[in-house]
Amino acid sequence: MNSKFMQFLEDILLPIADKLNNNRYLSALRDGFMTALPLIIFGSIFVVIANFPFLDKFISEDAFAAYQDALGPASAATLSIMGTFVIIGIGYKLTEYYKGEAIYGGVVAFASFLILTPQVLDGVSGVIPTASLGAQGMFLGIFTAFISAELYRFFVQKNWTIKMPAGVPGAVSKSFSALIPITLTLTVFLIIRIIFSYTSFDTVQNFIYTVIQEPLTALGSGLPATIIAVLLIQVFWFFGLHGQIIVNSVFDPIWYALNDENLSAFQAGTELPNIITKQFIDSFLVGMGGSGMTLAVIILIFMIGRSRQLKEMGKLGAPSGIFNVNEPIIFGLPIIMNPLIIIPWLLAPVVVTIITYYAMATGMVPPPAGIIVPWTTPPILNGFLATGNAWQGGVLQAFNLVVVMVIWWPFLKLLDKNYYEIEKKETQKAE
Amino acid sequence: MKRILLACSSGMSTSLLVKKMEEEAKEKGLEVEIWAVAQDKAPADMEKADVLLIGPQMRFMKKKFSKRAEEVGIPLDVIDPVAYGRVDGKAVLNKALELIGE
Repeated sequence: MNSKFMQFLEDILLPIADKLNNNRYLSALRDGFMTALPLIIFGSIFVVIANFPFLDKFISEDAFAAYQDALGPASAATLSIMGTFVIIGIGYKLTEYYKGEAIYGGVVAFASFLILTPQVLDGVSGVIPTASLGAQGMFLGIFTAFISAELYRFFVQKNWTIKMPAGVPGAVSKSFSALIPITLTLTVFLIIRIIFSYTSFDTVQNFIYTVIQEPLTALGSGLPATIIAVLLIQVFWFFGLHGQIIVNSVFDPIWYALNDENLSAFQAGTELPNIITKQFIDSFLVGMGGSGMTLAVIILIFMIGRSRQLKEMGKLGAPSGIFNVNEPIIFGLPIIMNPLIIIPWLLAPVVVTIITYYAMATGMVPPPAGIIVPWTTPPILNGFLATGNAWQGGVLQAFNLVVVMVIWWPFLKLLDKNYYEIEKKETQKAE
Repeated sequence: MKRILLACSSGMSTSLLVKKMEEEAKEKGLEVEIWAVAQDKAPADMEKADVLLIGPQMRFMKKKFSKRAEEVGIPLDVIDPVAYGRVDGKAVLNKALELIGE
């Protein structure tokens, strides 16, 4: 590949990466998910424990139900209502970015969201449906957090604050200084709610869900959009840019919403609606040694590598590769800018995406259960946990590893041969 | 005491380097403190550091971090991809010391 052309592509990709990663909304969104992550993982751990394999075969049905009920609140309070924490996180981070009182930004975002949330469920009023705090309210929550943080900042900057005389303790005057901006911000959302109650959508929740969230998640849950996302991740990485973090900034809301839908169904014991979810990407593509499923490449190096360079790389990349950290392989093999590698680098993840999708669509492997598995969990275990303790998930990952090895084999062999011959010449020279 | 901060997406891959750099520093008899953080923690931690090195896969953060680095008055650079791939503690440590001006 011509180096001028590569330079040209890099010149295009670098600004895109910069824009997507450093855009204040997208980075607040990413940080919002980061805020929720420890809670999500806590909830996920208890979903895994509550659905421990074969436990229902060993203990009585009543005992099993009691066991699940006892552990239920762990995920109900975290994973199932993850939108709550994402919203607070976004409001906090965006306000912090504007150098405002971040904690007020967080709570005002959450309160704004609650104002827009229908507080009635099946005719019972005075309740907040947890579904709207989870997947269903994800998009509304994100937009509300952006807008409320902006309004809050706007009103703070207008400086319509209540000035306290000198001598009043800092905390007291702070609580008053937030009063007017918060009041105005929440009033705006109350007005929005009232306006929507006169439309056919009835609630803003319903409006955002039908007009934005449903079409976007429907698109995102399909194979074509997923393949595009996967290819983008690979292309960014080929240029040595962190593809995952860049593409996630756009796809995470969709993938998490799809994920939460599956979780609700999994816990209710009904059919899982989605195949593509956050965990589809994180377990079956990233959780295979890192983006590009490089654990397969490391195994292949141990099997066929003759050159010193590749063998060294295998040893260097293996320990972290098991935990899906693969920068040594990406920069060391190298994968970046390596024309020999571009074909397997782009092809293998697409093939694995298609295999995994159809393995799940045909029912051979259960779709991801909505559990969020930490991305550093080693493959096989990762697939097992992601599919709700289904051994098929682990087997599919093992099968996919072999597929990746087969795709890479001729290319890695060629790379190895090149390195080997260079090394041979060098040793001959040295002698 | 030289304080070297490394940053990447989640502080995972840069932490591989931390160990190698510490080994190298020990060999050289240098007193250093080296630590790796995720990108969102980097601006806050830059206050405590003498130099910031960014993982090459996050090199698009350089512009954003440069402003902050100027505020706290420390140099920064992107780690060389080849050294990064080889987890070459020696090369990266030398680079850090060179940036600090030793």
